[in-house]
Amino acid sequence: MVVHEDERASSRRLDEDGDDMPIFNSENFQINMKSIYYSRTFLSIIGGVVAGIWGFTGLMGFIFYFLIMATASLEFAAKAKFSIHKYFDSWNRIVLDGFLGGLMAFVLFWTFAYDIVHIF
Amino acid sequence: MGVGFVVGVLGCAILVHAAYSTIQYRGVLKIVEEEFSGPPMNVVAELLLGLALCMWAGLAVPTKFLSILPDSEENRIVSLPANLDFMIFNHRGKVLPTNTELKLKVQDF
Repeated sequence: MVVHEDERASSRRLDEDGDDMPIFNSENFQINMKSIYYSRTFLSIIGGVVAGIWGFTGLMGFIFYFLIMATASLEFAAKAKFSIHKYFDSWNRIVLDGFLGGLMAFVLFWTFAYDIVHIF
Repeated sequence: MGVGFVVGVLGCAILVHAAYSTIQYRGVLKIVEEEFSGPPMNVVAELLLGLALCMWAGLAVPTKFLSILPDSEENRIVSLPANLDFMIFNHRGKVLPTNTELKLKVQDF
């Protein structure tokens, strides 16, 4: 009787698709996430230096930062050859993750470059 | 790794050169006593070129993406460990379905 119940329970569970998780290789997934993180940090720094040399002040600089991050997201999608599900589990990983993480580095190098070029 | 690195260093060198040009330009403006509205066109072009090179390097230098699907070509485990004395292959795994679309079910016991 216990076996019967188990069979019916498991066949019921096979029908519902709401709460299953796809299996993927998590070690490679973490390698991919680290790669994106390094790229975003480097691009934030370079973007900060460019913003400082160009002479952006105030809102223009932050708009420039968001532009750089959006371009970076596009380039990650291109690097993954637009087949995101082969390398990540959702689009959020390359578009939203780490978007604001490089903001501090950007502002630091922006201020740094602006001071060197325009003030001293 | 090598080419991306060189491109990145080149991009940074171009940015440093653009910074130096802008400093000199500001020096000239101070002499002529004009306002600084923006760097000259060639410096802007240099900045964009340096930015493009550094962006390319920023994508090429970190490791390329590795596939996370368990049944893709490069994720196959094709080597057996050297010590096969303790490995048993006649176990209950043979009744598992070999469907590669099989997903992990969230079990609520």
